[in-house]
Amino acid sequence: MGKPLIMFHSITYAMKSRDILFQYGIKSTVERTPRSNANAGCGYSIYVPNKTDEAENILIGQGIKILGRAERDGTL
Amino acid sequence: MIYLDNAATTYPKPISVQNAVSYALKNYGANPGRAGHSMSIASAEEIYRCRLAAADFFKAPGPECIAFTLNCTHSMNYVLKGLLKQGDHVVTSCLEHNAVMRPLQALSENGVSFTTAMVYPGDNDATVDSFRKALRVNTTLIVCTHASNVWGIRLPVERIAALGHEYGIPIAIDCAQSAGVLPIDMSDGGFDYLCVACHKGLYAPMGTGMLITPNGSNLKTIIEGGTGTNSISMVQPLTMPERMESGTQNMPGIAGVRAGIEFVKSHGIETIYKHEMSLVQYLYKKLSQMKGVKLYTPEPVAPYFVPLLSFNVDEIPSEVIGQKLSELGVAVRAGLHCAPCAHECMGTLEQGAIRICPSVFSNINEMNSFVTALMKII
Repeated sequence: MGKPLIMFHSITYAMKSRDILFQYGIKSTVERTPRSNANAGCGYSIYVPNKTDEAENILIGQGIKILGRAERDGTL
Repeated sequence: MIYLDNAATTYPKPISVQNAVSYALKNYGANPGRAGHSMSIASAEEIYRCRLAAADFFKAPGPECIAFTLNCTHSMNYVLKGLLKQGDHVVTSCLEHNAVMRPLQALSENGVSFTTAMVYPGDNDATVDSFRKALRVNTTLIVCTHASNVWGIRLPVERIAALGHEYGIPIAIDCAQSAGVLPIDMSDGGFDYLCVACHKGLYAPMGTGMLITPNGSNLKTIIEGGTGTNSISMVQPLTMPERMESGTQNMPGIAGVRAGIEFVKSHGIETIYKHEMSLVQYLYKKLSQMKGVKLYTPEPVAPYFVPLLSFNVDEIPSEVIGQKLSELGVAVRAGLHCAPCAHECMGTLEQGAIRICPSVFSNINEMNSFVTALMKII
């Protein structure tokens, strides 16, 4: 699977996507997109630890524009 | 004080709004949509909740369609200056506020033309026909008020929107006097742009407005800057709502907007409208019996009016009556109400008028006190 972060244009779409996924029983949290990722330089993502591929497909099906997927940058 | 200047800004604000603003100041003290720390995210969550509430209230397609602005004028400028270009023609009404007329005037100096359609109170067929006759081949936008801020006359905006869409022309509605008083359904009504003042019928703090549209990405921007997104690019993001929200937002005010929307929903728009209309109709009857009082419209009745009323006393300048009422503890708005076109329609450009507008908090005793005060003056 890998790359559990789904990146968006804005925090509004990140939160909207989180709410959509919740309706499908998929839990996610809104996070700042790590600087090390492409499309960064200020941006927001949702961290979807489980069913990330399914989540991405659901969001695409709902017309949400996704910037890409990324690894979660949790190390210093 | 008896406050009857609610068409300008509602007062008092509900306790729930006061509490929401206070809570936001205490707990949401970080920039929303900028950082990743917990208070910034919490602030952003509160703003997102307000977007959800507004989208639901106005039946907008989604929370991303809600852009927060300073006020209705701000929203209207975004639409008019973002959409219109040289050679475009606009149809508007004869009852518009300067929030519409001044941007149109400024745009006319850059090759945008406009036609004002007459509004016929109580005759929606005639009003729609008037808009139809004003259309031209190069008409690219219809913009009109939902209800006159001077005379309370309600325009048949759903029918005007349908007319525009017959010809592929979008419509922008000035909802300054209608939001919170009249039901507004963006999808059913076929509205492309809603410009909302939150400090009036939504009982939010001053300095809060909304532009509601699914088409914001198509608007040119008149303000660019930091949005907390894609900062590496020098180009303003296309994505709504950030496209229209450069700079730090009015976080406590927006928290107040959400509380205001919930307050209106809890009372019910229909209940609020009926309550305020009954007070205005009561006043209309009282005023029509007073010697020297001039009323300019038929008695306000549903669904053709919103609950506000303007009048004059003989030929006395409206500001004189307004001042004397203030001295007796009654707050009204006298003058031209930033809507000279609406006054020109009724022949009150010279004298202005005295406007009274109740809120959900107004009551019959206050109406009687107002009448007593006016009787003392005249």
